[in-house]
Amino acid sequence: MREQILAALAQYGAPALFAVTAIASIGVPLPVSLLLIVTGSLVAQGVMPMWLAIALACGGSVMGDQIGYAIGRYGGAALVSRFSGMLGGPERMAKAEAHARRWGGPGVFLSRWLVTPLGSLINFTSGIAEYPWMRFLMWDVLGEALGAILYILLGRIFSDRVLALDAAMGDFTWMMLALLAAVALGWMLWPYVRRTRG
Amino acid sequence: MQRPPPILILLVAFCVAIAGTFIFAFRAGRHARRLHQEDEPIRPWMSVPFIAHTHHVPSAALFQALGLEPQPHDRRPLQRIAREQHRPVEDVVQDLQRALASAGHTHPAVEPPAGKAP
Repeated sequence: MREQILAALAQYGAPALFAVTAIASIGVPLPVSLLLIVTGSLVAQGVMPMWLAIALACGGSVMGDQIGYAIGRYGGAALVSRFSGMLGGPERMAKAEAHARRWGGPGVFLSRWLVTPLGSLINFTSGIAEYPWMRFLMWDVLGEALGAILYILLGRIFSDRVLALDAAMGDFTWMMLALLAAVALGWMLWPYVRRTRG
Repeated sequence: MQRPPPILILLVAFCVAIAGTFIFAFRAGRHARRLHQEDEPIRPWMSVPFIAHTHHVPSAALFQALGLEPQPHDRRPLQRIAREQHRPVEDVVQDLQRALASAGHTHPAVEPPAGKAP
């Protein structure tokens, strides 16, 4: 699948970029970060203008995110539980839903470009939690624009090292997730530590 | 069976998260160093101009190695070129490796397509 998607981008450029970012944002696991980095390389090679690459990547992602949000909000409990199975089970969905309620806009924003593995989950859960759509859209556009600019620009700078860059960015994203988990767990542990010391 | 106290679970999860942070930071650093050290491997999804760009060689030399007319706008991926030439994509990659070697580039071992690794 990964090979076919990247081959489609190399051959067809813009339409493939828009379609893949939209489908991935709904929740289908596709190699979007590598796709954006390769797009940056294509920009450096003069295949695609920078503004078009950013507009298509951002537009496709925002469209997919809105579909994910709408599924969560209007899809009904049965559909949501079906997707929850695909995306890590009801427990993970419940956690992401709590996250959506607690963190709201900043959570949507950060999951677009910094902790991307949570992105499609937060779309669903923002819909389920009935987070206001206009606010969701605003944070979504800001986050996706920043993500598209960041990845495409990095791909343009390291246009001859796309695979190494993708591997580094992938591990960096997981490092950020692990760090966030460590901070959250440390926060939960703190009362125990204080009680022991007191 | 008695359930372990919640603090123990939290403590273990905290240690795992800290370990994960360091492991992924180390891996990210190692990949970042590769940015300056190695040439990119050739993959079946890449087009001839893309490979020429990543290896800093003229695309005409690579097109010629595959017996194709040099066309900068020909962005067919290697897998399609191989299909059209009725031969395995590994053969196409080997031809390109030879062309890159003769252009003065030593090349890293070709990685198999993702998901097909042993």
